[in-house]
Amino acid sequence: MIDPSPLPAIIRILLVVVIITAAYIISTRNLITLVSVYAFQSLTLVTMALALYSYEGGTVLLAIAGITFISKVLVIPYFIATIQERVRIKRDIEFHYLNPTTSLLVSMALMLFIYIGLSKIMEGTPARESLVFFGAVIGLSLMLMGMMVTFSRKRAITKVLGYLSMENGVLLFGMFVTELPFIIEFLIIIDLIILVMLTTILTVGLDSTLEDYHNRLHRFHLVEDTEEGP
Amino acid sequence: MILVALVVATILALILITVSHTHRQMNMVCIAEAGLFLVFALYYIMTGQIPVPALTIGSGFFFIDHLGIFEVLITTVLFLLAAIYARGYVEGLIESHELGKGSLKFFYGSWSFLLMVIILAFFSNNLALFWIFAELTTIISAMLVAILYARDNIDAAIKYIFIASVSMLFSFVGLIFLFEISRSAVHGGTLNWTELIHLAPAFPAGMMIAAFALIFIGFAAKSGIFPFHTWLPEAHARAPSAVSAILSGVLLNVGIYGIIRVFAIVHQTPAITAISTLLAIFGLLTVGIAAFSMLTQKNLKKLVAFSSIENMGILLIGLAVATPVAIFWVLFHIIAHSFTKASLFFSAGILHRQYHSTLSADAPDDMRDVFRFQPLAAWGIILGGLAIIGMPLFPIFFSKLFILTQLAAYSLPVLVILVFLLFITAAALGYFVISTFTQRYSPEALTDVHVYHTPASMKAPIVILLCLLVMMGTVFSAGEISFLNQIVTELMF
Repeated sequence: MIDPSPLPAIIRILLVVVIITAAYIISTRNLITLVSVYAFQSLTLVTMALALYSYEGGTVLLAIAGITFISKVLVIPYFIATIQERVRIKRDIEFHYLNPTTSLLVSMALMLFIYIGLSKIMEGTPARESLVFFGAVIGLSLMLMGMMVTFSRKRAITKVLGYLSMENGVLLFGMFVTELPFIIEFLIIIDLIILVMLTTILTVGLDSTLEDYHNRLHRFHLVEDTEEGP
Repeated sequence: MILVALVVATILALILITVSHTHRQMNMVCIAEAGLFLVFALYYIMTGQIPVPALTIGSGFFFIDHLGIFEVLITTVLFLLAAIYARGYVEGLIESHELGKGSLKFFYGSWSFLLMVIILAFFSNNLALFWIFAELTTIISAMLVAILYARDNIDAAIKYIFIASVSMLFSFVGLIFLFEISRSAVHGGTLNWTELIHLAPAFPAGMMIAAFALIFIGFAAKSGIFPFHTWLPEAHARAPSAVSAILSGVLLNVGIYGIIRVFAIVHQTPAITAISTLLAIFGLLTVGIAAFSMLTQKNLKKLVAFSSIENMGILLIGLAVATPVAIFWVLFHIIAHSFTKASLFFSAGILHRQYHSTLSADAPDDMRDVFRFQPLAAWGIILGGLAIIGMPLFPIFFSKLFILTQLAAYSLPVLVILVFLLFITAAALGYFVISTFTQRYSPEALTDVHVYHTPASMKAPIVILLCLLVMMGTVFSAGEISFLNQIVTELMF
């Protein structure tokens, strides 16, 4: 393997891009761009999987890149965007415990904490000095940042995006640390799609007014009623 | 082969539900499905062909051992009884317009699919596969919570999904850790439980503690352990009672089952002392939170839900002791708790139908003259309450007694605190029953009361469960004891 290849540098840059998108998801109030940023984050992950594939090999990475692209860059963002249009909420300005600035500060502290914790756990292993360590730290940080979004936002649709970016973090962590069998990754995506569909459908009920709710629910809920306009 | 048969049977059930027109037909399909799986579980238990060879099952990712079939037995019995109960209960929901007729197919479809996913979870040898099925059970059961046309239900379902799923992601990171640990012991790594338990003695303690702690977060959230229990009272209280029984009697077991499996692996490593302390602390906190929440609880279903949290705490403490005897009684407690809790939710469901007009979501229950209108449900609550606090004649008496005696050797302070907390929960239940069931209507109001005619299909499951419980609490067959002992041996305690 050629060591001075530009790939590790590219992967590092991509990891930084991931963190920037996570910071954006934590701090933004605009729901429309939130979905695009999530799709962009997933796309970064796909690029990273491809870069890792050309660096280390392993067809599993290629397969992961494939299903991630289809599910997380195309299907899920499209689905959420469609729902958002119907619900017609553009902004999420309600925060539970943390406002964006404190969230960002807390997530910086979390990253530091994960860095120290992981370097303790991985002490002495050859992985400590390599890209694997960096990837694992970013993966776990992304996961915790996603969790903060899930618990600090009020709207269920933002919570879903938080959960999704958490899952991206797990994927990132798994991608760098180990090679899970492909079937597991595939089933997780299925699980994710069901979760997203269910929660967004429920969100339609929760985020719109109660009067519209029944009508809207009927349309998504497999209820055998005639369709009604919004 | 077994897997294929299982999936085919479920698909058949789903097709039948889709083509059927009346509520009774759909309900019949669910009863038949659960009955079929129950017969299957009983067949394997009676003929003693366990563990089933991988070839008969059809995939190396799955296995059927004593613990798996034991959980499946509980699951199928409760699904069967809950489906029978739903026959009358769901009709009541439709009449009062709490459930749309159009949602019926969705309801029963999710119901029969949930049963399959739970069974597949209990048969998974691969822990990651188990994780996925456990995660799916969360989502499908959340659909069953959200099925009622009420904003509160959707709130409860969303809370349930997010707390459980977010915590389960931590479990997944823990599994990645475990996989990485196993790679140091075997080439290529494995997540198959049967292989991990034999490789475990070589695992390093530090990494194992990290892996267990992460995995514990997810499964603790699934089984309502403090501090991840906050979704449980709401989801269990808002769900239709037939679903509440399933949530409490079956789905909590999925989480505890996961903890037992991973704990059995940890038991083989030097990390056991640290982990058992962790379990004891969380168990005690869980029982404590549940006990003090029950004390002020005025809503029957929430009270029963908090009692589930309490019992999960007891199970954790029993696990922490980790002697073979303690594990034996933990297993016995699992089945006893499941049956008792299901009977309590069934009784609560009847009372809920009788008094639902006056019940808002969070308001205290206003139940009057219960013995006049719903004598069976009232006695169901009283007897079920006695069973859940561990009175003699009922099985929980023995499981609590022996877990407590085993605990004495483990830690005396924990024992003292636990006994104190158990008294509080018993007092809370007793106080609720006495204060609520003695309320009466004024003679003038009595004539206006609309009496809910409880169908026989709602009464039968309660009677069956109470008979089962008395039987379990008085007669111990040699087969039962040797079966539980085999589970303990297989878990290598």
